[in-house]
Amino acid sequence: MRLTNTLTASALALCVTTTGVQAETELELARFFGSCDDAGTDVSAAVGEACIIQTIINAYSADDNGVTIETLPTDWGNYYDQLKAMYAGNSAPDVHVIHKSSIAEFASLGALMPLQEDDLRAAGINPDDWVDRARDAVTYDGQMYAIPMDIHANLWHINLDILAEAGLVNDAGEPILPSSPEELMAHAKQVKDATGKDYLTADFAQFPIGVRMVLAMLWQQDSNVFSGDEATVNTPEAQRAVETIVGLFDAGYADPNLNYNDSQQAFLEGDAAIQINGTWMVDIYDSETRNDDSALASYYVADYPQLFDEAATWADSHTWALPVTLQSEPEKYEAALGFLAWLNDHNVDWARTGHLAVRQSVLDSAEYQNLAHRDEYSNTVNIARDNPPAVRYSAIQDVLNRELQSIWLQGKGIEEALADAEGEINRLL
Amino acid sequence: MRLTSFLHSDNFSGWAFILPYLIAFVPLLLWPFIQGFWMSLHEWNLLAVTFNPGAKEFIGLGNYIRLMGGDDIGWSLQPMWPFRLVVSALVVTLYVRSIRRRAVGYSHHIMAGLTLFTTAVLLGLTGDWYDTRFWIVVRNTLVFVAWVVPVTTTIALLLAIALNREGRWAATLRSVFFFSQILSVTVVTLIWQLVYGVRNGFIANVLAPFGIDSPNWLTDDQLAMGAIVAATVWWSVGFALILFLAGLQQIPGERLEAATLDGAEGWRKIVQIIVPSIIRTVQFVMIMQIVLHFQVFGQSQLMTQGGPGDATNVWVRYIYQTAFRDSEVGYASAMATVLFAFMMIFSLIQFWVTKRQES
Repeated sequence: MRLTNTLTASALALCVTTTGVQAETELELARFFGSCDDAGTDVSAAVGEACIIQTIINAYSADDNGVTIETLPTDWGNYYDQLKAMYAGNSAPDVHVIHKSSIAEFASLGALMPLQEDDLRAAGINPDDWVDRARDAVTYDGQMYAIPMDIHANLWHINLDILAEAGLVNDAGEPILPSSPEELMAHAKQVKDATGKDYLTADFAQFPIGVRMVLAMLWQQDSNVFSGDEATVNTPEAQRAVETIVGLFDAGYADPNLNYNDSQQAFLEGDAAIQINGTWMVDIYDSETRNDDSALASYYVADYPQLFDEAATWADSHTWALPVTLQSEPEKYEAALGFLAWLNDHNVDWARTGHLAVRQSVLDSAEYQNLAHRDEYSNTVNIARDNPPAVRYSAIQDVLNRELQSIWLQGKGIEEALADAEGEINRLL
Repeated sequence: MRLTSFLHSDNFSGWAFILPYLIAFVPLLLWPFIQGFWMSLHEWNLLAVTFNPGAKEFIGLGNYIRLMGGDDIGWSLQPMWPFRLVVSALVVTLYVRSIRRRAVGYSHHIMAGLTLFTTAVLLGLTGDWYDTRFWIVVRNTLVFVAWVVPVTTTIALLLAIALNREGRWAATLRSVFFFSQILSVTVVTLIWQLVYGVRNGFIANVLAPFGIDSPNWLTDDQLAMGAIVAATVWWSVGFALILFLAGLQQIPGERLEAATLDGAEGWRKIVQIIVPSIIRTVQFVMIMQIVLHFQVFGQSQLMTQGGPGDATNVWVRYIYQTAFRDSEVGYASAMATVLFAFMMIFSLIQFWVTKRQES
């Protein structure tokens, strides 16, 4: 059977080449988001980042447009290391996803292809439709280097049943969330006393969710980890932010030892009232409420609460870029632009994950506004914040992650850890 | 005439024998090594140099100074004094003993000198080091090796002695214990993450009926390194086991029989008869493992990501991060060169040890 298939395929291939039909343009695509088995091409049925993006890719590849796309392995962990190695080995993928926070590094070294607005328009992408924040996300030094796909931010994912048991749900069925560090502790105590469960859970042990929480609490106090070339980590504001989190650990209202999967399980099994995680979890948690095995029955998503003077939450963007080498391959460049336009057209499908759309026309559409839970975190788009572009951003984030871990997992003094982080970040800037 | 005599000479057959190896060794190992050393003398950004070959800057030993240098360098008796005292005393005793027995050779002088220099001088250095993280990863790597090598060797030796017999059970168990060896590090770490999982892991499930919460194997400061060591021992015991079994087959049956008749049983038989009989295998296994485990990477990268903090970060992972995440391949090459020097020392020790025994 397999042999006949192969023979037929080779015969067909032979016919195609001999009759002079133009060969398909092949694009190599690199992304993270994880893998989706048997993704297929039905975009509307997909759930979760991995499956939604893969069906969008597959649908384009299967479409009769002369372009086929090969998706490279999709691991999270070493994505940027691999990408860099591919660039260094002159075998960069033809199109790849990249975080807003990494554009500075790749663009400053001349790796990314500068995108011309006229070319984008010719391919059917209208940059004027992007919200300002999204346009800024793909612009480095006044030049556009990518097209934006989303704005993603930290949210509070809430198990309403647990909060209700602790009396923290109002008559309208909305959660009552803290508005100061003191209130945070009081609510956490209330939940512990009433239910015996943890108030909140997040990956404080490996993935930098703890860093993103501290950043949000710094911005809420009008502070930041660096300004210009100077690190400003060891400040009273940072101390207050870290003390707020450590207070929860010390009182036993949260567990700093859980990693990403464990913290997710803790939330799904109903062992914690709130999980702090990104927009990408919204459709997955929403689908879990219909899963009988999950203890999550009434799910609510809230904007990251304002605990200090102003509202802010950590945010970043997923964007798509082309390598500078495509300049000498016009055919691939055109094919890649066609694919970017396809992605841009599917902005609302990607937003189904929970991410914020980047096109004003999508944001205004009824389809977008009717997405599950969308109205519950509508203010996130206004409070989304991040750091100014920095070439060594991933290293800076790693320093913060290590030093914060050493505070809550290794008992290092807060001031000592912040001072060490400041010294190291100063060397990186 | 000259050619024919060359063709018949030992020199020619010598070259002919190593040529196939050299064909692989020179372009795949020696040349990259020289290139790596060359890179280590530069400030070299991985991506910048790719797009602009002129973007590297020759800085001589700058990377090595940044790596191992510091300000206000001094020396003190205090750091790690109990460890230094015990090791120094041990080395001096052994050295004096071999001098008395007139069994002292070239290698003894060097090894004793090297160890004493390390414990007395190097470990006593204090200062504001430029790269404090480097010393943390070096210490972690040494701790890792210091645990994995003796534990693996001991377990493998005991298993080999127990399984060195005929019969279906012994044969089956030999295969079972060797099985882990064929797995890749990705699979091994995946298996052990399933074992260590705090909520649904194997250990957590075993402890649950007794009402005991699983410890946080991979995120607890005190347990993470031990957890990685245990996974590594499980992984590498098979290889050592096979070598020990091969060694045990060489021991003449009469010697063991004679020992048994003379009343040597249990531990005494192992320590006084079996181990001395296969001492060369033991040395080989240990030195191979030292060199191998200095290069530990996957376990730390995949199981703990070097955390919590830097508690399980190891040398090669630091090299990897510096080269690929931070793009500083020049600096990373300097670290790699120092690691090479470290492993070279252990290879030389092995070389001397074998040499000495042959003579």
